[in-house]
Amino acid sequence: MSETRVRPALHGRELILAVLRWILIIFFAVYTLVPLVWLTLASLKTNSEFLTSGPFALPRIAQWQNYVNALTVAGLGRMLLNSVIVGLSATLVNVVVASMGAYCISRFRFNGREKIFTLFTAGILVPLNALMVPYFVIINKLGLYNTYGGMILLYCAIGIPMSTFLIRGLMDSIPMDLEEAAYIDGCGFFGRFFHIILPLSRTGIVTAATFEFLTCWNEFVFANLIVSSEKLRTIQVGIRYFTNQFSTDYVSMYAAIMISIIPSIIGYILFQEQIIAGMTSGAVKG
Amino acid sequence: MKLERSDRGPLWAFLGPAIVLMVAFFVIPVVYVAVVSILKWNGISTPAFNSLRNYLMLFKDKAFTRSILNNVIWALVAGFIQVPLAMVMAIILSRKPKGWKFFRTVYFFPQVISGIALATMWRAIYNADTGLLNGLLKAVGLGHLAKDWLGTIETAFPAVLIYWIFYVGYYMVIMMADITTIDESYYEAATIDGATDFQQAIHITIPLIRRTSLLTCVTLASVMGLRQFEQVYMLTNGQPANTTSTIVLYMYKKLQDSNYGMASASAVILIIVGVIFIVCIRKLFEGRGETVKVKKGRAGK
Amino acid sequence: MKKALALLLALTMIFALCACGKQAKAEEITINFPSVWVGTDSKAPYMEQLIAKFNEENAGKIKVVVEEQTDYQAARDKLRTTITTGNTPDLCILDTTYDIKAYTESGKFMDLAPYLADGWGKDFAEGSYDAWSVDGKVCFLPFESAVFTPIYNTKIFNEIGWDHFPATYDEFFQFCKDAKAKGYNAMGQMAGENGWSSMLWYSLIVEAIGGKDVYANGLQDPAFVKAAEILKEMYDYTFDGAISAGAGDVNGHWLARDTAIYLNGPWWVANLYKEDNAKDGVLLADDCEVAVNPKYEGGKGEGGLVTTVQAFLAAAEQTDPAKKEAVVKFIKYLTDPQHVSELALSSGAMFFVKYEPSPDTSLISQKLTQVANDAAFTVIHVNGAFPTAFSTEFPAALSALILGQVDAQGFVDQLQTAIDNAA
Repeated sequence: MSETRVRPALHGRELILAVLRWILIIFFAVYTLVPLVWLTLASLKTNSEFLTSGPFALPRIAQWQNYVNALTVAGLGRMLLNSVIVGLSATLVNVVVASMGAYCISRFRFNGREKIFTLFTAGILVPLNALMVPYFVIINKLGLYNTYGGMILLYCAIGIPMSTFLIRGLMDSIPMDLEEAAYIDGCGFFGRFFHIILPLSRTGIVTAATFEFLTCWNEFVFANLIVSSEKLRTIQVGIRYFTNQFSTDYVSMYAAIMISIIPSIIGYILFQEQIIAGMTSGAVKG
Repeated sequence: MKLERSDRGPLWAFLGPAIVLMVAFFVIPVVYVAVVSILKWNGISTPAFNSLRNYLMLFKDKAFTRSILNNVIWALVAGFIQVPLAMVMAIILSRKPKGWKFFRTVYFFPQVISGIALATMWRAIYNADTGLLNGLLKAVGLGHLAKDWLGTIETAFPAVLIYWIFYVGYYMVIMMADITTIDESYYEAATIDGATDFQQAIHITIPLIRRTSLLTCVTLASVMGLRQFEQVYMLTNGQPANTTSTIVLYMYKKLQDSNYGMASASAVILIIVGVIFIVCIRKLFEGRGETVKVKKGRAGK
Repeated sequence: MKKALALLLALTMIFALCACGKQAKAEEITINFPSVWVGTDSKAPYMEQLIAKFNEENAGKIKVVVEEQTDYQAARDKLRTTITTGNTPDLCILDTTYDIKAYTESGKFMDLAPYLADGWGKDFAEGSYDAWSVDGKVCFLPFESAVFTPIYNTKIFNEIGWDHFPATYDEFFQFCKDAKAKGYNAMGQMAGENGWSSMLWYSLIVEAIGGKDVYANGLQDPAFVKAAEILKEMYDYTFDGAISAGAGDVNGHWLARDTAIYLNGPWWVANLYKEDNAKDGVLLADDCEVAVNPKYEGGKGEGGLVTTVQAFLAAAEQTDPAKKEAVVKFIKYLTDPQHVSELALSSGAMFFVKYEPSPDTSLISQKLTQVANDAAFTVIHVNGAFPTAFSTEFPAALSALILGQVDAQGFVDQLQTAIDNAA
């Protein structure tokens, strides 16, 4: 959309709409930010302050110690690193496999195509908690228990239905004539994938990658199930360090939660330009 | 595109990895679940055939039927309230009002925060005596409305449901990306014809994203609604009186009881409910309205 | 672009392979031990020392590798899965939520009976492990015990105008009314999460009414209905929002000094001594006194005490005799009276192993031990007495009871149905 579009002067209904628009924009912003502010304040209080003072009372002295506690006592630093390693690797493998699969399902008609797609879509619905026993057996039998490889493989696999769904949705909307033209020019199976479909479906791929990465980052059940060594634990396991049922250290827990959030927010702010650019620039090519 | 003979090899090579993963991590495990669902098994003793008794027991259990109802409500609210809200915000922000990049970033924050963190926060907000919500109500003189939001039958489920609705960032970003691919000339023509922003949204934007990103988002949101677990587990654990239970939470509790048969049966039911949902949504979006064939200004400038 | 992708893929594979390659050295026996006594748990600091010392003493021969499990429920989920799939950890900590009979009969666990018969058994309180043996096999070795008896804040009691803890439940409710009039919560209740505190109160009332044999007929004993009515009444004297409250809220109110009576297991005692929980320089423990379960008029429970097995030690069956010996050696090391005595002192927790109590009788843990020694008989808490389905259903039935969705009889029926469905 170009920035130069001329807007008509505001009057009457337009004015009401403009006001309404800003009310909505601000409401959503406040709604999102207030809990974060609360969490930040809570993470900087002492335990007794947290229990007795009001939710938005400023901490008397900012307790950065809580963060130090969370980082050193629970070893969150290492866990953050593990989450990044596992998350990035699984996301990468996942979107590569899913875009290859989506390309085939979206662009070609062949026997069993519908069945395969139905299978992929139904996969989105499977409640993964029900699969703890089979997943444990698979990972164990592959000798991948307590390895990065096991986590990467599992996360990559459980994200396949969702990623395929998202990427295929986008590929479906790419006009056939583009590809047909390339085909007539002698562009083969791989050429069309790499030169036409892949660049044009960047939106879907980036959406899927974001989704997959966040899934990995926030996953707990399997992170705990298929890993036993502290050296491989991910951040979500670390947060639980302070939430056990006999713990009274609320503020360190909130600090730990903040520590788990901050990298993802910074990561998003840093990369959002690339993410959004990836999502939109696909349209220009072709 | 028709499949050429020379493409057959590469096609299966491309599809192969995805299919192998799907078979290993979905088909075989789901078959396993389906088999266990007709067994009586505590995970350690020898399993016994139980025919469809697990399913019968599920439907006799009020907590389970309530869970199905809650999930259906959740999926409908997510698909038909949350996503439309996201769409409105996507349309508004794609008009690039002042500070739109800032707001786009802020709206996305909740998506990068883990479910446990959000639920912990919201539990504190809904808390009856130290909570933010009751504090705000008292501050504006509505103290009589203060209550134990998560401990009252009438408010518990709405409270669990509502806080999630206004987190629209993810769907909003998907739709914004789609909206930016719409050819600018459509809007230019409409502006010349004197159409307002509102009319342009109704007649140009929505029809053009309906079968792409809107359909994707509605499906995604409904599926998320059906799979709800962590939020409810952390916020209420299904209470009070099982009124906030969901199918996956119910299943998880059966696993805790080492009742693998009933847990698996509820997983099977969830998959069936989900398939029905996805089919209905597809029908809804394909059935009505003209099919916009030549739509996107993919060629851009 | 393609090259970068390939490179990243290769790196990923290398990472995975590296992690695979970390196999244990051939000669050393490794004992894997998923433990919840880690992190912020009160037993964590001493356990860590203890295990480090064991590894040092047996360097090159045996190595105990602790898998930290800080979330109890997640730990249970994982244990259930590993045991079901035939990957039982070499040593694990189990509780009464597992079907002990089925687990023992499965043959997946090591029978410790021969070792106990060989003299080791004398270290344990009499009859402690026999109570959990199945066909003479002791696979679940009771290790950590717990007594549940009220602890009260004497400062608050003084302010309310009470100089003693209520001796009967009638008196108890008189106290509750007085506490409420002064703006205090009499006790903490919770129907959220797993309903833990209320489950304990329910156990206490059930014991006071039904006495020693209250579980003899399952949930048929009239004590369960009567106790439900009393429990419901208690919700009038707890803090706002108890229906949705969790352990954090109960503990929070108690630590904020607005609640007069606290009920939890002895492992919680260490928190009373934490500087972080002190107020105006006074430790919470200094204001605390230990009471006994009030008597119920016409009840059969006088002199009884609610207890449970908080933790069993259970080891996987081993085919390799050397490894079996190593595991037994480690269990014997953990249950050594000297070690247990230090563990008890450092955490406040109680154990089935007989050990010299600390000479300092002013300690809360000592007073708890005294209560335990004075008890005429003991009764397990309701979660321990019934199958797991009872404890999973408890919060649902309880919140329905408090909110008036069911009456006391309906509450008991709902729990009974849950048990029947799981059977």
